[in-house]
Amino acid sequence: MRGRGLFLALAAALAALAAVPWLGSEALVQYGINALLVATLAQGWNVVGGYAGYASFGNSVFYGLGTYGTAIAMTRFHLPFGAGLAAGAALGVACALLLGPPILRLRGPYFAIATLGLSAAMSALFANLPIAGKNIGLILPLYRGDALFYELSLGLLALATAATWWVSRSRFGAGLVAIRENEDAARVMGVNATLWKVLALALAALSSALAGGIHAYWITFIDPASAFDPTLNVKMVIMAVFGGPGTVLGPVIGSFLLSAVSEVLASRLSSVASLFYGLVVVLAVVFMPRGLVDLGPGLRRRGWRYFAENVRRHRL
Amino acid sequence: MLLFVQIVLNGVLLGGLYGLMALGMGLVWGVLNIVNLAHGALIMLGGYAVYYLYAGAGVDPFAALPVAMAGMFCLGWLLQRFLLNAIVRSALLNTLLVTFGLDVVMTYLAQLAFSADLRTINPPYAGNHLDVAGVTVPLAPLAAFAAALLLAAALSAFLAGTRTGRAIRATAQNLTAARLHGVDPKRVYALTFGIGAALAGAAGGLYGVVSQITPYVGVTLTAKSFVIAILGGLDRPLGVIVGGLALGVAETTTAAYLDPTYINVVGFGLLVLVLVSRPSQAFERA
Repeated sequence: MRGRGLFLALAAALAALAAVPWLGSEALVQYGINALLVATLAQGWNVVGGYAGYASFGNSVFYGLGTYGTAIAMTRFHLPFGAGLAAGAALGVACALLLGPPILRLRGPYFAIATLGLSAAMSALFANLPIAGKNIGLILPLYRGDALFYELSLGLLALATAATWWVSRSRFGAGLVAIRENEDAARVMGVNATLWKVLALALAALSSALAGGIHAYWITFIDPASAFDPTLNVKMVIMAVFGGPGTVLGPVIGSFLLSAVSEVLASRLSSVASLFYGLVVVLAVVFMPRGLVDLGPGLRRRGWRYFAENVRRHRL
Repeated sequence: MLLFVQIVLNGVLLGGLYGLMALGMGLVWGVLNIVNLAHGALIMLGGYAVYYLYAGAGVDPFAALPVAMAGMFCLGWLLQRFLLNAIVRSALLNTLLVTFGLDVVMTYLAQLAFSADLRTINPPYAGNHLDVAGVTVPLAPLAAFAAALLLAAALSAFLAGTRTGRAIRATAQNLTAARLHGVDPKRVYALTFGIGAALAGAAGGLYGVVSQITPYVGVTLTAKSFVIAILGGLDRPLGVIVGGLALGVAETTTAAYLDPTYINVVGFGLLVLVLVSRPSQAFERA
C-alpha cells in the first residue's frame, strides 16, 4: 500500500471512526474519547521523542497546562469553550518555548529526568495556586455531548497525525532526525539544533494542551493529581514506542492496540490486567525493538527469523 | 536552634538510607548504562522479604538483611542473565521501557502475593531513643543509617580492592578493552546487576523498619534514587551517600519550614541545580 492506496485506506478508517457515535454504544464512545486523546498525546510525544530523539517523560506538563488553561478561562473568566481551548494551548506552547531552551540542553537520561521533575514541580505549583483551586481543583460547567467530544478528539488526532506527516517530509523533520542520529554532526552541517528542538517541543505542547483542554471540559472536574498524572507520561511513551517511534502512523496504531488490550484485560481479568500489560511491554521491546510498524515488513523480509535477529542484534 | 538540629539530624538519618537506595541504581547505571526503572520495585521486594522473615519466622530485621540480600542477588542475577542481557545494547529508550515493564510486573505480583496493606517492620526496640543534649536520636533509624554507611564502605572496598571489583570498574570504563583483557561481560553484567539488586534489598529492609512498605512505593523510590545517583556521581559509592544526605536534609527542612507538598519540588530543584552547575557530567555521559 503506497501513495494513493494508503491515503484511501486512511480516509476510510477516519470515516469509519467518525461514524462511531452514531453506530456504537455509549460506553464505546467514552472509551473512544480516552483512546483518541491518549493517541494524540503519543503522537505529540513522537515529534520530540521519536523524530528528535529526546525522550521526554514530562509531556503531561503540557497536557496539564492545557487542562488548567481551559478550566481557568471557563470558570474564572466565563469564556466560551473555544476561547478556553485557545488559552490552554497558548499556555502549553508558552511553557514549551520558555522551558525548552534550558532543558533541551540536557541529553539522554538527564533530559528524561528533568522533564519528569518538571511535571512533578508543575503539579505542586498548581496545588498551591489559588486561581487554580489549589488541591481541590476546579469544576467546569456541565455539557452533555459525548458525540461532540468524540468528534473533536478524532479531529485533533487527525490534525496531529497530519502535522507529523508534514514533519516527516519536511526539511524540519530531516533536521530533527539528524539531531537524533548525531546532534554534533547535525550542528556542523548547519542545522539550527536549539531552535528546531524547541519548535518540536512546542508542536508536541500544542497538541497535548489541546487534548488536555478537551478532556477537561468532557470530564468537567480537574485537580492537580489528574491533570499532571505521572502515569500518563509513561503511558504515552510506551504506546509510541510500542507502535514505532519516529514513524507517522506507528504511535497511533500502537496506542489504539494497547488501549484496546488494556480495556479488554481490565474488563475480563481485572486483577492481572496490569501484570499482562507489563509483560507485553517487556516482550515487545525484546522481540520488536523498532515497533509494531516494522513487524509487517520485517516478517515479510525475514519470516520468523525476524524475532531471533532482533534479539541477536541487541544482546550482549 | 534545638529544633533546627533535630530536623537536620532527622534528615541525615533518613539521607543515609536514601543513599543506600541510590547506591545500587548508580552502580547499575554506571557499569551497564541501564537506567533501571524497576529499582524501586526491587527495594520494595527486599522490604517484603525482611518483613516476612521478621513477622513469619521471628528473625530480627537486621539479622534478616543478609538473607534478603542473598535472595535479591539471585533475582537480580537471573534478571540480567536471561532478560536484560538480551537488550543491553539496544537504545536507551528500550532499556527504560523494559525496566518499566518489569516494574509493573513486580508491583502487581507483589500486590497479588502480599496484598495492598501497609506493612511496617516493628521490632520491640523500634520506639527506643537516646537523648543527647536535648536532641532525640531514634535508635532504629540510627542503626539503619549505620548499616547503610557500612554497606557503602563495603561496596567501595570491594570495587577498589578485589579482582572482581576491578573487572566491574574496567567494564564500566571501556567494555571492549575489558573484553580484550579477559573479562567476560555476561558474567560481570549479571554480577553487577545482582549486587545492585542486593543493595536495593538491604535498603528495602531498612526502609521497612523506619517507614512503611506497600507494593506501590517503588515508583517514588526509583525517582529519589535517580536524583541521588546523579547528585552523588555514578562511580563513587561514598559520593552517592553524600548525595543521599543532601536530599534527606533538604526534604526534612522543606517539610518543617516550608510545606510538605514541596518535598518533591525540592528534590528535583536540587537536581536541576546540579545539572546546570556541573553540566559536563550530563553531556559526557549522554
